[in-house]
Amino acid sequence: MSLVARHIEADGIPTVIMGCAKDIVEHCGVPRFLFSDFPLGNSAGRPFDIESQAQTLELALRVLETAPAARTTVQSPQRWSADASWKRDYNNLTKLTPEKIAERRKEFDVVKSVARAKREGT
Amino acid sequence: MTTTAPGTNAVFAEEYDVPIPYMQRTRDYYIALGYDNPYRWASFTEVPFTPLRTPLGRARVGLITTAAPYQPGAGDQGPGAPYNAAAKFYQVYSVPTDSVPDLRISHVGYDRLHTSAADINTYLPLTRMREATAAGRIGALAPRLHGAPTNRSHRATEADAAELLRRCREDGVDAVVLVPS
Repeated sequence: MSLVARHIEADGIPTVIMGCAKDIVEHCGVPRFLFSDFPLGNSAGRPFDIESQAQTLELALRVLETAPAARTTVQSPQRWSADASWKRDYNNLTKLTPEKIAERRKEFDVVKSVARAKREGT
Repeated sequence: MTTTAPGTNAVFAEEYDVPIPYMQRTRDYYIALGYDNPYRWASFTEVPFTPLRTPLGRARVGLITTAAPYQPGAGDQGPGAPYNAAAKFYQVYSVPTDSVPDLRISHVGYDRLHTSAADINTYLPLTRMREATAAGRIGALAPRLHGAPTNRSHRATEADAAELLRRCREDGVDAVVLVPS
């Protein structure tokens, strides 16, 4: 998605990305980025929380209007929860047993072959 | 454990309370799973920038998503569904913005432990954008939104980006909001 934003911006249309993966988006380098420090899947705000979603969009629009230069990141002040321990979990190997890792490997091989078949059939 | 900064009531955040280092986690994860060719994320030193020239209240704004149209018969795509590669798509698509389309994110690696994608508004801000348009905050919404395929080679992504730009130009947008999920 970062590559898409760059391509559109380079052609003269301003863009803003709303996202939760700060390192990946900033590593690519994009014009404007509204970062929500939420679990992946909540780029546009908290579930069933219209106020959170409206505030998230409003911040993104303000970033669109006021960013002074490329690579502008604004972090939303919203917190997912008072306890930040959810951040330790995503693909965290130290939390997985060798058996669990083997199981994940099998699952991922299946996912890859399904995706390949789908891609080649498209 | 809670620690306060000396001479203040400010509480230090826990050491792990920082944005998740996804690239490192992902690299370590797939190496541990036995894949020895780690994914390389694109990175550029130059970043384009175009100031917004039209006031937002008069601007036409587009929306691009990585969410996928619901595909009957392609397995569980509902809230909390396991990663579903069969629900992926490989062509840019466009759908009208005058109603909310049925778009899902079971085909991407969202955080299934801590969220469930049960509310489309967490990954597709279309309803909030329509409200912002009704309130005059945004001049107009583009007549359609566009879907960007994920997990692509850099070459395929470049072709998709060119197609998405072409469609944004057709829509006559003054700015674009992009929401990866």
